[in-house]
Amino acid sequence: MTDLILQAVYSGLLQGGSYALIALGLALVFGAMNVINLAHGELVLLAAYIAYTVESQLGWNPLAAIPAAVIIVTITSSLLYFLVSRVTVHREINSLTLTFGVGVILTNLVLMIWSADVRTTSSTWMQEAFIVGELYSMRSEVLFFGVSLVLIVALWWWLSRSWYGRAVRAVSSNRDAAKLMGINPGRTELVSFIVAGILAAFAGVALFSYGVVTPGYGSVLTVKAFIITVLAGLGSIPGVLIGAILLGVAESLTITLASSALQELAGMGLFLVVLFVMPNGLFGVARRRG
Amino acid sequence: MKLNKLLIATLVATYLVVPFALGGNSYVMSLVIASLIIGGVALSWALLGNLGGMVSFGHAAFFGVGAYTSAVLTMQYNVPVFIGLMLGGVGAVLSAVLMLPVLRLRGPYFALAILAYAHIFRIVATEWTSVTNGAGGIARIPALPTVFDYNFGSHTGNYLVILTMVLLFAWAYDVIRRSPHGLALRAMHDSEDATRVVGVNNTLLKGLMLLVSAFMCGAVGAFNAHYINFLEPDYAFSAVWVTIPIVAAIFGGYRTITGPLIGAVVVYLVDQLFIKNFMPTGHQLVLGVVLVVMIIASPDGLLGMIRRALRKKHAAT
Repeated sequence: MTDLILQAVYSGLLQGGSYALIALGLALVFGAMNVINLAHGELVLLAAYIAYTVESQLGWNPLAAIPAAVIIVTITSSLLYFLVSRVTVHREINSLTLTFGVGVILTNLVLMIWSADVRTTSSTWMQEAFIVGELYSMRSEVLFFGVSLVLIVALWWWLSRSWYGRAVRAVSSNRDAAKLMGINPGRTELVSFIVAGILAAFAGVALFSYGVVTPGYGSVLTVKAFIITVLAGLGSIPGVLIGAILLGVAESLTITLASSALQELAGMGLFLVVLFVMPNGLFGVARRRG
Repeated sequence: MKLNKLLIATLVATYLVVPFALGGNSYVMSLVIASLIIGGVALSWALLGNLGGMVSFGHAAFFGVGAYTSAVLTMQYNVPVFIGLMLGGVGAVLSAVLMLPVLRLRGPYFALAILAYAHIFRIVATEWTSVTNGAGGIARIPALPTVFDYNFGSHTGNYLVILTMVLLFAWAYDVIRRSPHGLALRAMHDSEDATRVVGVNNTLLKGLMLLVSAFMCGAVGAFNAHYINFLEPDYAFSAVWVTIPIVAAIFGGYRTITGPLIGAVVVYLVDQLFIKNFMPTGHQLVLGVVLVVMIIASPDGLLGMIRRALRKKHAAT
């Protein structure tokens, strides 16, 4: 029994890596623009299907799909930014419904191009067992956990050291003051969408390499990413990583101890408990309550 | 006066002309009924969005809970179907009571928390097999009964029932909007703090709007269960019950009462009659495009667009 639990915790931990990438993209855009991008999960899904095409058509390793995925997803993400930036009245409600609409468009595009079938990688190199002591995982899981950690550190460096990263943080804390300091808020918001797109592209390829994807999975991913940002609270990168791992572990423990049908319930339950008990998240600053 | 005449003309047309003109064609009638079902959900969504100022992506929860409540009560406890419809609404209200803590959250947090509830209810409906028969679904849900020798289970009967329900809901919506509470709710849009200062209990009013909206949506869900006689969790809690009503309400103009209804009829019929024909898979793509275009071009919907065009014409002459 202990073995099983340890194994579940380990799998959940590895899963947390890509969850964190997805959640960071969502949080970045939310921070810069105060918009929850309901199409974010669909961006991830798009990358996963690009990896599928590269693998099934060209016979390459899904890793080779990363450049194409990054390019296509960031273009889509930038287009999304231009749509969202056109919203002027009742910004909160209208941008939510707008991104929801884009999510519907992307889901159905995926459905039309790649059909409703469940897709997963057929690369044996990716699925090879990777054993640490008693703990088992696929090679792709460990590989992408490492990639996620590298990306998260890079994001942290970018946000705290680079000019644009600091501009994103300046705009999210005070838009008008940032403007006075010579920052172009529009361009900064576009940059946040692009970075979110890059993170989504990596997460999508990861998802395809160790999991299964279906066209309807995008909205599930958005909800998961949102749960993680709620768990973490706003404005904390390590918080997001811990929140993501927490969600991953909660899900895999539910699968091991109860049933896989209840997997989603674990996340939702965690989400509601945190919202009601600790509305500012585990690491966040007060901001959310109306 | 002009409005009253228009209202009477609409009532005559919907109650007399439509059944006599289209009653014989069961395919067309079924489309009309389905668009009214969408219209009812769209109306309840728009009520919450307009008066309560809250975007909900979880209305599928109310729809599904209403449907299951009525189906289970009429089949296992022999409750008459018409009372089942009401109780479906009550069931949805009870599920909304569970959601009341969410009102502490605002904007996107509310929208996604309510979505989380919708997922939870769907999973509960799937796993609680002793009552709902799980993923297998419930078949042979009783149709609307024959009352005073009139068979409400026929297409025309179903049409009259859902039409009456939707019109009653629209009337209730209008009454709420005209009441002092409606005024307070509209004032809340401009400044929550200001209304709080003059003594309006914001949270209470918003909570009431959530319950009213849930009742409407639940009753429509219950009607749908008795109309199609079959239920399964993935259908009853499907995202379709959120997507199409939102598109309809935004398309028609969610700040008006007639907007969501007109939007529902237009969007649903166009989707079913035209788009579905040349785009069998992924025809909802067009709905997404409509939503995006409307939000950017005319956030107050088609009616708002027409009103602005008329005003421009007046100004020109």
